Amino acid sequence: MSLQNEEMEVVLKIKRYSQDKGYWWQEYKLKVDRFTQFTEALRRIKSEQDPTLAYRASCHMAVCGSCGMKINGEPRLACKTLVIDVAKKYGSNIITIEPMDYYKPVKDLIVDLDDFYQRMYKVKPRLYPHKDVIEGKAEQRLKPEDQRELWKFAQCIWCGLCVSACPSVKMDPEFLGPAAHAKGYRFLADPRDTITEERLKILIDSSWRCTYCYMCYNVCPRDIEPVTAIKKTRAYSKLTKDKTPVILTGEKHSEAIFNSLVETGKIEEAKVYLNTYGLLGSIRDFIYLFQTGKIKYALVKEKPVENISEIRKILSGDNK
Amino acid sequence: MEKVSYDAVVVGAGLAGLMAAHEIASAGYNVAVISKVFPTRSHSAAAEGGIAAYIDGNSDPNDNPEYMAYDTIKGGDYLVDQDAAELLAYKSGEIVMLLERWGTLFNRQPDGRVAVRYFGGQTYPRTRFVGDKTGMALLHTVYEKTSGLGNVDFYFEWFTWELVRDDSRVRGVIAFDMRNMLPVFFKAKAVVMASGGMGMLYRHSTNSYINTGDGYAMALRAKVAIKDPEFVQFHPTALYPSDILISEAARGEGAILRNAKGERFMARYAPKKLDLAPRDIVSRAILTEVKEGRGFPGGYVGLDLTHLGEDYIKERLALAYEAAKSFAGIDATKEMIPVRPAQHYYMGGIDVDITGRNPDLIGLFAAGEAACVSVHGANRLGSNSLLETLVFGRETGRSVVEFLKNYTEPSSDIDNEAEKMANSAYDIVKSESGVHFGEILEKLRDVMWDYVGVFRDENGLKTALSEIIKLREDMKKMYVLDKSKVYNTEFYNALELKNMLDLALVIAHSALNRKESRGAHYRLDYPERDDQNWLKHTIAYLRGNTVEITYKPVKITKWKPEARVY
Repeated sequence: MSLQNEEMEVVLKIKRYSQDKGYWWQEYKLKVDRFTQFTEALRRIKSEQDPTLAYRASCHMAVCGSCGMKINGEPRLACKTLVIDVAKKYGSNIITIEPMDYYKPVKDLIVDLDDFYQRMYKVKPRLYPHKDVIEGKAEQRLKPEDQRELWKFAQCIWCGLCVSACPSVKMDPEFLGPAAHAKGYRFLADPRDTITEERLKILIDSSWRCTYCYMCYNVCPRDIEPVTAIKKTRAYSKLTKDKTPVILTGEKHSEAIFNSLVETGKIEEAKVYLNTYGLLGSIRDFIYLFQTGKIKYALVKEKPVENISEIRKILSGDNK
Repeated sequence: MEKVSYDAVVVGAGLAGLMAAHEIASAGYNVAVISKVFPTRSHSAAAEGGIAAYIDGNSDPNDNPEYMAYDTIKGGDYLVDQDAAELLAYKSGEIVMLLERWGTLFNRQPDGRVAVRYFGGQTYPRTRFVGDKTGMALLHTVYEKTSGLGNVDFYFEWFTWELVRDDSRVRGVIAFDMRNMLPVFFKAKAVVMASGGMGMLYRHSTNSYINTGDGYAMALRAKVAIKDPEFVQFHPTALYPSDILISEAARGEGAILRNAKGERFMARYAPKKLDLAPRDIVSRAILTEVKEGRGFPGGYVGLDLTHLGEDYIKERLALAYEAAKSFAGIDATKEMIPVRPAQHYYMGGIDVDITGRNPDLIGLFAAGEAACVSVHGANRLGSNSLLETLVFGRETGRSVVEFLKNYTEPSSDIDNEAEKMANSAYDIVKSESGVHFGEILEKLRDVMWDYVGVFRDENGLKTALSEIIKLREDMKKMYVLDKSKVYNTEFYNALELKNMLDLALVIAHSALNRKESRGAHYRLDYPERDDQNWLKHTIAYLRGNTVEITYKPVKITKWKPEARVY
């Protein structure tokens, strides 16, 4: 148990906001030690220096999800981040704190999360068990391994950081966003749930709208990996009836990648594109490539990798 | 002032409040749930280790609810109302299975049934858990379930300021929309106070920042009694120095407390139960070790998990591992975790019976940490608080439904009264200069920690009382710098401080009054329990700067008080 303390004076530059004045930056100087969390630094500023500073914080142990904000540009929970660690990482004792991106500003570090909550409600975030279970005639059992799988995704604390960091949410209004997908998958994959078909209707189309940029994976303070939930949700695609164009394109894209790998061991971009969007759909893009002189990249002829038979074995699941 | 009407208003959206709201709404009544924070931010989320439950066919074969009730009563040093402890024990299995049906992902045994672990003060292991984030798992389940009902309106980020009453009955609450500072009179036939605890009164606390004792103070100002205010629980293992809770589950899973010499010192204080003795005993043991020079420099001891193995620690004690790593730079699989006691729970609360009804005010109910049923007596056993929130949240919801069935409309009009109460919020912050809340708050937290903490005596408590009265005087000069109406957190912090000072006065006064040691209330000048004179509940009312105390007998059904040895 080697508790080595150290102290440092830091300058916190906080991006403040009010409806009357708009944005401005304000600096606060304070002494922190090895153990000072950002929530504690903010609390001390508020009670010792400037009571007008507004922010949200509750549990200070990373389970309530109140204190999402940007610290030196990184979306973080303030409680889960130590001031000295950030100063060391960036080699500077001047640290910026800003409200989360994407959401409407309310005051200083407080943003309006209604949009986030609406996303969560859309996925019907609750278990719909079998009638006999509700009536107490039957007991639900759950395998320990199923519990472990679901619990990973059930640990979302609704902090909103992933949605604030997600580029697809900003581009595509039909995309539910990472947190809602993690929540949706947690119930979709629960063997005790009974409304699978309805959940598929809500989740599958949206799941194909994610671009796999992994920002949600990077920022999630509970390491839930919403993008993994989205991947796992896509695997349910084949069970979906009434497929939307987005689902069909997505499925075709997956299949094209699979086929390309079986044939050559590589992802042949041009061929995958053609197989995903079809000849007609591709023509417009080909013209664009001609015009910009990039067509040569589309016409690269890929040779199969050596030992292609090993890759085919893996893809067929026969890798034991 | 805008007015809205509901059958019932629930103040607080933690487990107790949501469970009560669920029951009332399921019976067809309209409910408003008002909370300072979005429901999943409530302090229930921070509960870690588990929820105690005797489950028929899925418990130790020697166990039964009688043992569970007995453990609770003995743990509470016989200040527990025994009818309440029995109800808690007998309904425990049912409530855990209900939550399982609602989707809570309890850890499982290999056969798929809900798993179990040991907790302090239990004769047989009976704590059910979801890793060490049990509170979070339960809170999300109940919120998700309750928000699916049509007739519950959630007012989150609303600040409830006062209980409105007439001569005999409750008439609603005044609450501010934090986004625009406008007060609204929530007229209600019944009000459930489920507003949680008060950890922010103490310099060191495991509690969320939002736990400022608002519900207790609102009740006190509405001439309602707080029962057993002197009983404040300190958790023995808060991470040094951040005061983040290291769950009792760690010791339940086999972790050992060691002093700086490496000794398992609990052998001196509780030779049979060792590290799994109840919290008051372990807290005093740690501080005694530190005082006698066997702690580490800075004033802490070590919690040793290293022998449990990395995989086990990371699955079953993930949060403890993570907290030690993130907040103290300690790898708990290789080194001891530095711990010391910190305020953790409030056994005192709004006086209610086992149905959740308050005897002072018709239509007032309370549940969870805001209430004193009293099921925890002088010291709460670990994993009984989550259980209490759900069992008594539901019981309270059910008695509200009974109450609403027989309700008759009052004839008197109290709108003017309500208007005055809303304006009173501004009284304390009208000055154009003076002190701001932080200056008074920091002093209060030190006074409570130094003089109304783990060890108490007459001189210290008298000092605390005079300091608190002085701070209440200073508060009249309180000044809010932020003049904005949009999400003015300074204004609400100032109101919270008023609440904290009202409650602090009652705690310090009641602690000075009780001249014995019982459970968490430990008087250096009266170190023995005194059943002859003090086997009774304190009932405290606040009138201005004075606290009026009366007494209520403890309900005893089967278990005669005996010496409390572990």
